[in-house]
Amino acid sequence: MEGDVVVQQHALGKIEDLDAADLVVGILADLDQETAATVYEALRTLQGELRIAILSTNVGSVQADPDWVSSRKGPLLSVVPWPETGPDASNAPMQSISAAYQAILTAGEMLGARAGCIIASKFEVVRPHWICQLVQPVLETGFDLAIPQYPRRKFEGLLNSSIISPLIRCLYGKRIQNPLGPDLGFSRALFEVLGGSDRNAPRIHPLASLTPVAICGQLRVCQVHIGPRILPSTDWTNISSLLVQALGPVFLAMERNAACWQKTRGSIPVSGFGEPSAAPQESETIDVNRLVNSFQLGIRDLQEIWGSVLPPTTLLELRKLARSSSEQFQMPDDLWARIVYDFALAHRLRTINREHLLRSLTPLYLGWAAGYAREMETANEGEVERRLERLSNAYEASKPYLVSRWRWPDRFSP
Amino acid sequence: MREQVKQALDQSTTRFISATTRLLPGLVALIVALLISVLFAWILAMVVRRLLVSIRFDERLIGWGFPSSAEWSPIKRPSVLVSRCVAALVIMTGFLIGVSAFDAELTSLLVRSVFAYVPNILGAMLVLLVGSIIARFLGRSVLIGAVNMNFQYGRLLSVGVKWLVIVLAVAMALEQLRIGSGIVELAFGILFGGIVLALALAVALNSKELVTKSLDRDAAKTSTESIEDPLRHL
Repeated sequence: MEGDVVVQQHALGKIEDLDAADLVVGILADLDQETAATVYEALRTLQGELRIAILSTNVGSVQADPDWVSSRKGPLLSVVPWPETGPDASNAPMQSISAAYQAILTAGEMLGARAGCIIASKFEVVRPHWICQLVQPVLETGFDLAIPQYPRRKFEGLLNSSIISPLIRCLYGKRIQNPLGPDLGFSRALFEVLGGSDRNAPRIHPLASLTPVAICGQLRVCQVHIGPRILPSTDWTNISSLLVQALGPVFLAMERNAACWQKTRGSIPVSGFGEPSAAPQESETIDVNRLVNSFQLGIRDLQEIWGSVLPPTTLLELRKLARSSSEQFQMPDDLWARIVYDFALAHRLRTINREHLLRSLTPLYLGWAAGYAREMETANEGEVERRLERLSNAYEASKPYLVSRWRWPDRFSP
Repeated sequence: MREQVKQALDQSTTRFISATTRLLPGLVALIVALLISVLFAWILAMVVRRLLVSIRFDERLIGWGFPSSAEWSPIKRPSVLVSRCVAALVIMTGFLIGVSAFDAELTSLLVRSVFAYVPNILGAMLVLLVGSIIARFLGRSVLIGAVNMNFQYGRLLSVGVKWLVIVLAVAMALEQLRIGSGIVELAFGILFGGIVLALALAVALNSKELVTKSLDRDAAKTSTESIEDPLRHL
């Protein structure tokens, strides 16, 4: 069976014993026993006679009280101890989560589930209903993909705020805060759309493809307000590796769905569920000088590489920007949007080796982060939202530039 | 006396004419072979140039790290150079075939030794080409990595690595061509050692910063929360 490749053998046996389930819940986060019990309790509040298969990597919490799940009334829960798949999470977190997604989607398909949910984040304060809120729109209201909306902290999730979220919004016309989850609720229809795309093909990245595939497949997408999460404390080797792991699949998905996003104009908000909550803003001081120095070093040494990706006007603007002092340093949003588009196009055309391309984006990304950090140092949550909304508008305003370059790369070749 | 001189001159003239006569067919064959090879070379060069333009050879070279097309003059673009090399090769082959038509033992030996040397030339060219591509790839990798790690001497490191690989490739190519093996080995050893020393110095100059960063990172792991880099990227 196709799923055997990604589903470990002993888990496969347990899944075959289950035979079928209505809902598959994959718990990738390392939850303690108390939190796991809270999650199980929350799942029992779902309406209807549901058979719920919980795939948990937290073997300890399962073994601590093996009779718990079978001793209560309500939806029937079955817990499958789930081994971690994929490479070591600390060195390649995106690949590890992607492998886990693939395994859970496969398990859901094997069990014939009509919905699924993945919990990959640890939350600061566990509210049981948040878990159910990811599942209820899919089970009860007919949505196909429920994406979380976390309270925004100004210096967290910058890669998502600066590139992934505005890019997805501009391309596919849906305003989604966290297109890459990682916590998600999804329907069987999404299994089938992904399955039709040959999910196990090397180019398909489940994490990066879920949202674009759902939108381009005319599936219903919603956002769910859930609480602040604890960002993973993985030991990133460096930011450039993160850019390669995160942006590579996003650009590949962009290439695959070109026929879909070229027709889209503007963006609209998606349906929302739950009540937004506030997250305390950090008061740390960012070392902007360090970020500006990284940017200036890139300008000095990577001109030759950027010259094969970026047009001369962009390079000229970057050189002017490099002469700014740290106090006045600010990368314009339209410039940043065009840089991202140029790199996406170079990724598609393989102008240079793809890994080199994405790694060479690092100084530019740090340059944008420097201007953002300087501007948002004393900002509150509302100001952060307005700032990121301006950035998203800049992406949308620059979309004609992207479409022109995408369709006629030779005409605009730098 | 006069009769003897006249007889000697007549004999030498006759020998000269007969030798020239013997050479004439070979000479004609050589000229014909050259003309045919020039015509064939011209056709082949045109085909090769069109093929290279259709596969965007010049643009692909940029992706492999060679200088951009703006730095090449129009008549010296890579596709034109390759097509001219192919043409020169065909003309050289035609010349050697024409020379072999003289039916002299020396020319036959020459032709055989040249053709026997051709695989060495091709091997050397392949080594140089692959070495050049690898050198540029590695040089670019090192440059990007060094810049991302905030090394101030990243460009020096990159150039050093690139030239290290190129020197290695050139030494291998010269060994393939069996040219001055002893001197080449010595020169290669000195040059290679010099480049490695320069690279070591470049790394040492940056190692202080790297060690400091590594120590800071280790110290940050033991604290409750890293306050050195409050930015979270994903």
